[in-house]
Amino acid sequence: MPSISPAEATLRRLTEAEYLNTLGDLLGDGLLLPTALEPDVEIEGLLHVGAGQTALSPRGIEQYEDAAFLLAEQVVADPALRARVFPCDAPDPGCTEAFARTFGRLAWRRSLTPGELEQLEAIASEARAVLPGEPWAGHELVLAALLQSPHFLYRIELGAGGRFVGTELASRLSYLLWAGPPDEALLDAAEAGALEEAAALREQVQRMIADQRARRGLRAFFSELLGLHELDTLTKDPAIFVHYSDTLGASAREETLRTVEHLAFEQAGDYRDLLVTHTTFVDRQLAAIYEVPAPTLEGFGEVLLPPGPRAGLLGQVSFLARLAHPVSTSVTRRGEFVRQTLLCHEIPPPPADVDTSIPEASSDAQTMRDRVAIHLEDPACAGCHQITDPIGLGLEQFDGIGRFRTEEGTAPIDPGGDLDGVPFSDALGLGFVLRGHPDLPACLAQTWLAWAVGHPLTPSEGQLAGWHADGMALQGHQLLWLLEDLATSDAFRIAGSTLGGGR
Amino acid sequence: MSHPRGRRPSRRQLLRGALAGGALVTLGLPWLEALAAGGGFPKRFGLFFWGNGNRPERWTPSGEGEGAAWALSDQLAPLAPVKSEITVVSGTSVKLPNLSPHYSGACGILSGAPYDEGNSSFTQPTLDQVIAGEIGGRARLYSSLQTAATDTLGDSWSGPGARNPAESDPYALYQRLFGDTFVEPGSGGLVDPRLGLRRSVLDAVSGQLTALRLRVGAADQIRLDQHLTGVRELEQRLARLQEDPPELDACVRPTSPDTSYPNLGGRPQIAERNQAMAQLLAMAMACDQTRVFAHFLSAPINDVLFEGASAGHHDLTHNEPGEQPEVHAITVQCVEHLSTFLQELRSVPEGDGTLLDSCAVLATSEVSLGQTHSLDEMPIVIAGRAGGALRTDLHVRSVSAENASKVLLSLIRAMDIPSASFGIDEARVTESFTEIEA
Repeated sequence: MPSISPAEATLRRLTEAEYLNTLGDLLGDGLLLPTALEPDVEIEGLLHVGAGQTALSPRGIEQYEDAAFLLAEQVVADPALRARVFPCDAPDPGCTEAFARTFGRLAWRRSLTPGELEQLEAIASEARAVLPGEPWAGHELVLAALLQSPHFLYRIELGAGGRFVGTELASRLSYLLWAGPPDEALLDAAEAGALEEAAALREQVQRMIADQRARRGLRAFFSELLGLHELDTLTKDPAIFVHYSDTLGASAREETLRTVEHLAFEQAGDYRDLLVTHTTFVDRQLAAIYEVPAPTLEGFGEVLLPPGPRAGLLGQVSFLARLAHPVSTSVTRRGEFVRQTLLCHEIPPPPADVDTSIPEASSDAQTMRDRVAIHLEDPACAGCHQITDPIGLGLEQFDGIGRFRTEEGTAPIDPGGDLDGVPFSDALGLGFVLRGHPDLPACLAQTWLAWAVGHPLTPSEGQLAGWHADGMALQGHQLLWLLEDLATSDAFRIAGSTLGGGR
Repeated sequence: MSHPRGRRPSRRQLLRGALAGGALVTLGLPWLEALAAGGGFPKRFGLFFWGNGNRPERWTPSGEGEGAAWALSDQLAPLAPVKSEITVVSGTSVKLPNLSPHYSGACGILSGAPYDEGNSSFTQPTLDQVIAGEIGGRARLYSSLQTAATDTLGDSWSGPGARNPAESDPYALYQRLFGDTFVEPGSGGLVDPRLGLRRSVLDAVSGQLTALRLRVGAADQIRLDQHLTGVRELEQRLARLQEDPPELDACVRPTSPDTSYPNLGGRPQIAERNQAMAQLLAMAMACDQTRVFAHFLSAPINDVLFEGASAGHHDLTHNEPGEQPEVHAITVQCVEHLSTFLQELRSVPEGDGTLLDSCAVLATSEVSLGQTHSLDEMPIVIAGRAGGALRTDLHVRSVSAENASKVLLSLIRAMDIPSASFGIDEARVTESFTEIEA
């Protein structure tokens, strides 16, 4: 295994998904969860990287404080919730202290210090004095205090002696594998020092991957990798795309996540097959776009797409509609996604001071291929657009929302091309070329590792990711194999210096 | 869409201060003292931003000078109802290298500094935050507010990695400003024992942040400092809520927007959202809940489907051929929304004048001609007199393509902030744009 020197460890704010998952795991179902939260920020294509760099705004602080009381009020007001969340059923100081200790350990992902418990007890005591008519006031204020603390809102994983150990490693593992907090078993193992022992660590990782929560973790990663959060604000002109509706983005996201989840957990399949699979999951809305019979009246069902160009991630609405304009396709955006997100190729940004317009359709330039030809001829543009546009042109048989078509205007669409010298004749062919591209598995490993560690990879970390990708290749490119490998990797456990750090 | 919730509806502890009588602390706001001394109303600053620029050849007013000496252009025509309240500055440039399409311009015109492409971040505070840092704390509740009329986080930044996300849901903004915690002038402060408990919790949080700060690297220390600032502002706000609100004639609880204005048929209800936000911000200032705002009609590179447009805004700026009549029409719509916004500020009477009189509002975009991402001929409209510090009904043309930062420095000084300079690198200036100063 190559040696690594990681970037400086930084505080990682829980992303919105992690925050909500954490609350769900701590408090259970049935609560009204906060909806207005500090938005996540994408840096280097990942919200997880943004979460390690950006500051909380004053508005965000206000929202977290509001949310903490929203949740605490609900818990104390409902006997069933109280019974679930509190370790004892008595509104007395002893029970409040027990609650602070046990719940605090889950919420802060480590045991609280005596000083921290004293501070909470002081708040509880003040609450009992100020609100004598409210027996659960002490519990309520303790809960509200725990949930707005930096020890809850940030993952404080700073390392000790150059390694992540104990409860810091536990929370790294749980947010990688579950996109949520450690459970008691993991915390017990961590506090007993068991995670420092290779076999015991692997045992925990395997237990966690076998747990239902691992599906949530896989979804969280692929949602970020594929930019699926952008589907929340998908905008299409319904006058042009009659199949568009305001719920299409959410449906498209669910289709893609189900496809990935199915491949990883049900099939233990080859990651690369995500580019060519004809199996997908659709609701009625997506079935109409794909022109297949809806498998079910309500919700989603599995379908096998008919033989043809539509297959894999590049045939799904989550990709085709997101990386397009409100009224048309975008060969550049689609090509850019394939290059940057799937293959980790760098594309320089366009120069700012040029006219980037492409000519409008005319009788001698009806198709997008004819129209973007000018980008590919102008040397100022060709440098980058040669990298992106031929890929996008291979997908032109799918319109700006993802419906299949064979003509643009009255001219036939030619979806042929080549990717790094390997020819393809249509979108399915492109999928197969991509499936065989040597950079595809390494790119996945790099992005997953960056997601796991929460910073852009240093060169040595990137090399290590490539080493893990090679390992995955020997295991039939199984996603869960790679995940287990990353979770037990040195890259995930070696901490960069924080104080006086450099890289 | 479910409505984000404000604080719980009036609980048993929520009693108006009037019932509690003399137990309340009386608030000695500097403003009231200033008013009593004939010092006038406090100055307010606002930013009104729209994305993707304009068509410069149809933007620049004809004639130069004051009053009848100048006339609005095609694109500025919707500002006719407020012509006497505005100044147009044409011909200035953002002097920074144009390296990131749109963002070099956005960062340049709003903060006078280069954009950090790798970290997707501004590098210096935006103008609203520069001003909020000086005068924001004098407002009763919020040092600044950020709003948007389309789905964007906006571009108000306190520093690198520290964006102040805009609220784009008028209903949520209403709940925050005029929900359960709102107290009409003259009715005393909120009496709620929970307010004190919440402050105790925030005290504990401050202590945790301070301790944590000692364990982290330099970058995290800055992040935690920002966290701490937010906590302290919230603590102070809770304290202010317990105090008697100032007696302000124009301050009344506005009507609640009855919807969050979701997109309809793929198009945002931009006019409705913009107007609702304008009304809420105007009243927030009339009640002295804030003195600084940044309002984002739309974002840089937005592909919003505007009314009547055949494609997204950004798409059209690059792909509409010829003189781009659609881009022109969208720019006119943006100016109409600006006009509506300013008229809402003007509709609030204050003393012998209106709220707008004490404001300086900078309306601008990240480029001029979107097609080429041009940073020359920057679109700049200033509204309000900043309490007499700014001239109005004026068109000033810069014949020498002066640094646009000069205008921003004028606005900072118009807020009575004695800044020696604004901007860094090529955007830095030490001289203001004196032609617009009264």
